[in-house]
Amino acid sequence: MNGHDEALLDLVAVYALGALPERDARSVEAHLATCSVCRRELSELRAAVDAVALSAEATADEIGGQRSERLKARVMSAVRAPQLGANVVSLERARGRAPNRYLPYLAMAAALALLFVGLFDAFGLRAQAGRDRDRIAMLEAKADMQERSSNEARAQLALTESRVADLLAPNAQRFPLSGGLVARANNRIVIAVQHLAQPPKGKVYQAWTLRKGAKNMTPSVTFVPDTSGLALIELPDAAANLVAVAVSIEPEGGSKAPTSKPTFVRSLS
Amino acid sequence: MEDADLLMARVAERDVAAFEAVYDRYYRLVYGIAFKLLADEAAAEDVTQAVFLKIWSAPRAFGGGMFSAWIARVARNRALDVVRSRKAHEAGELPADLPLEGTVDDTVFARLDSQRVRTALAELPDEQRDPIELGFFSGITHEEIARRTGTPLGTVKTRIRTGLRRLRSALEASAV
Repeated sequence: MNGHDEALLDLVAVYALGALPERDARSVEAHLATCSVCRRELSELRAAVDAVALSAEATADEIGGQRSERLKARVMSAVRAPQLGANVVSLERARGRAPNRYLPYLAMAAALALLFVGLFDAFGLRAQAGRDRDRIAMLEAKADMQERSSNEARAQLALTESRVADLLAPNAQRFPLSGGLVARANNRIVIAVQHLAQPPKGKVYQAWTLRKGAKNMTPSVTFVPDTSGLALIELPDAAANLVAVAVSIEPEGGSKAPTSKPTFVRSLS
Repeated sequence: MEDADLLMARVAERDVAAFEAVYDRYYRLVYGIAFKLLADEAAAEDVTQAVFLKIWSAPRAFGGGMFSAWIARVARNRALDVVRSRKAHEAGELPADLPLEGTVDDTVFARLDSQRVRTALAELPDEQRDPIELGFFSGITHEEIARRTGTPLGTVKTRIRTGLRRLRSALEASAV
């Protein structure tokens, strides 16, 4: 493509709209790299396409109050407790508050989940589980008295319980890892790992997913383990089309593509 | 700098309150785009959640510019993933961060509201509006648009471009 004829500019318009087949889109991109006229056309039409997108904005009435509230609760609970422990602790620290009193309970609940799926040494398991249950009961009672009004803690608890439920679900597919497992249940992926080292300063762990037919991993959530080295995370990606998950250490904020050797890669088959 | 730029800088510092402000401001746009593409409330909810969790987990994916346009592209691309998983097709994604150039005053578009855009879109001739909406909200290629509407491919391309140019002019005029 070497000209600025009308047919070429028409093609740029279709590209701006995102309605070109991949093969043609790559061809247009190659031309754009060398043609300032077409880049300017694209720039002008992109603004119009952005406006088309804006036309789809739903009103609060169209979404519905109940749906809006439920959706926001889902998102915010995932954000406030993207994995068990450390992120939440760091958030609390950032706000200048003491760490949430639910955290020890949550850590133990997750540890118990791992116990149930047989990843811990059998020796001492019953005694440990008994002690944990007692402590959970004590913490629950204490939490009930002291944190009754803590919606945030309840959201974390609900999320953790949901993840634990997925780990234990009768229909769950479980894929063992060294020191943990990946579970696929109810179209969700949950990763539970213990004894995970803290990432270096300025770094986090990042999960990656590989979709069926895809050549490259897609970035997913970032996380850090809690102080005991336990990480219990749920991926926001729908599980149905995933064929593998991986975790690597990345800069804070995450990366678009892995920049380090994976901590693990687990095939989901 | 758009307010969203400041909010996103705070989100990158793991500020939940800033994230919540971003969510409150843009969830109707994200949900609306997802619902337009998927026509399924539950799927639109899933896409909305996925888009905002992506923003939380990788806030630096936003490289600056008009945030509403960026998040709209992310929402469309995510919804297209769902469409693709339902039925294979090959419509192109919108590059979320494409370097552009030009002297057009795009601050006009930063001040747009959805109602004004809907009005401007409604004023386009059907023959221009239909291929634009089909291409953007159905995620189908211009070839499929031509097939579905029984219109020659060259005509579809010209109508898309003419319609987008007319839409841009109408919005610029209404902003004056």
